[in-house]
Amino acid sequence: MVGLSVGEKHFIQGGIAQDLRSDGRKRLTYRPIYVETGVIPQAHGSARIRLGATDVIASVKGELGKPSALQPDKGKIAIYVDCSPTAAPMFEGRGGEELSTELSVALQRCLLGGKSGAGSGIDPSSLVIVEGKVCWDLYIDGLVISSDGNLLDALGAAIKAALSNTGIPKVNVASETSGDEQPEVNISDEEFLRFDTSGIPVIVTLTKVGRHNIVDATSEEESQMSSAISISINRKGRICGLTKRGGAGLDPSIILDMISVAKHVSEQLIDKLDSEIAAAEADEEES
Amino acid sequence: MAAKPGSAPTTYSPSLIQKTRPPIFKDNDLDWVRPDGRGFHQCRPAFFRTGAVNSASGSAYAEFGNTKVIVSVFGPRESKKAMMYSDIGRLNCNVSYTTFATPVRGQGSDHKEFSSMLHKALEGAIMLETFPKTTVDVFALVLESGGSDLPVVISCASLALADAGIMMYDLVAAVSVSCLGKNLVIDPILEEESYQDGSLMLTCMPSRYEVTQLIFTGEWSTLDINEAMQLCLDACGKLGKVMRSCLKEAASASQE
Repeated sequence: MVGLSVGEKHFIQGGIAQDLRSDGRKRLTYRPIYVETGVIPQAHGSARIRLGATDVIASVKGELGKPSALQPDKGKIAIYVDCSPTAAPMFEGRGGEELSTELSVALQRCLLGGKSGAGSGIDPSSLVIVEGKVCWDLYIDGLVISSDGNLLDALGAAIKAALSNTGIPKVNVASETSGDEQPEVNISDEEFLRFDTSGIPVIVTLTKVGRHNIVDATSEEESQMSSAISISINRKGRICGLTKRGGAGLDPSIILDMISVAKHVSEQLIDKLDSEIAAAEADEEES
Repeated sequence: MAAKPGSAPTTYSPSLIQKTRPPIFKDNDLDWVRPDGRGFHQCRPAFFRTGAVNSASGSAYAEFGNTKVIVSVFGPRESKKAMMYSDIGRLNCNVSYTTFATPVRGQGSDHKEFSSMLHKALEGAIMLETFPKTTVDVFALVLESGGSDLPVVISCASLALADAGIMMYDLVAAVSVSCLGKNLVIDPILEEESYQDGSLMLTCMPSRYEVTQLIFTGEWSTLDINEAMQLCLDACGKLGKVMRSCLKEAASASQE
């Protein structure tokens, strides 16, 4: 994918070993994060995140639907990611499809928690309007505009920003209906409800190059990885999801080490992201 | 199908000290048992058989309780012309369900998520450099879904690869653990999976003690992760032995 000469490979690996990466960062430093919210007026909430040359957009849309029979007290949340061929020629056709599914699955796993909804960033029971009859279906869509590594962290951050930007219209149930009838609902276009986004985890991907872990790898650095672990961690320091990429096997104790490193990094990332989101929201209101 | 008595150890439950946590189910719920009567750390008996499909280069059948899967391996064969030159081999994985595998009649279509998980779990164990320019196909079919489908598919696939004579560093054994309330239950069945608060799946190469794939969902504390990983690693080690003995049995039977 990324064509690198032997010299360039050595340069990247040697830099990582000496804690000075080719763009001047240390191993555990992120690239500057730029957040913009409200970029898609058609959606209920949206955000754009830039991490170096990686550029992603996330949008949140709610639709009224019916809760599934198995879980009548929970709304549905779906996450899809689309890799546009404008970002890289390899995203065209099947190549993009594979990456899209991989990212969607990883995000669902990292952000939506277990089947019963435990550990989920958004409480699915907060989406229910009338139990067993009406609920919000939340569609979260991510779009990769430009890719320079670390897509998962960027998408995770974009979804977090988009959700804190989201206002779901308040729904008034018109009248009490009995039996199996669908209740009449009235969607307010003035009152909006906001989500509690404090519990939404951030995703930290640790990429292993040689014997060292780095965060926020660029695509050149990613091409040199032996394996990578994406860990989603919430503000309380609890692990909400984990996926591993890359084939090479890891010793279990190394994985536990990586988890504790990720925990440490995540604290700074959450603070940074929260302040960026707050600044972006303030900007949006001014304009 | 049932395992021959005395032929191989059929259970791979981890031997762990009974944990000292207080039970979460108080009073009359104290004697809470799993739907199939197993202990929390007790696995279903595992049954493996190689050579399930004659036309394939290698194949295996696995049966863990109600979960039944069949995996066949084809190749190595020449990669498609459209593919770029590669000096290492390619692995192509596909997991599909039969229409009658699930309680509700399904579509029987490919399971993309599992296919990519299977690929990621196996690629680290296979010596891809031993068959450059070629592709190995791994097709898994879930005949009956009874919970812990993916771990069973992965273990069965690595056995099928071994049966096909594909060079591997080690067999890959996979085990999952579900978190129900505060309890960790190993090798969950379908019913338990639908109520789980979190799950962890670990695939590892037991003899090398290396984790090839690890997935968690739900909210976990570091302590729980430690405990769940230990459980899985212990179970994987034992499952690896069961798989190995199945291969040995097949090899000695063909010599006779």
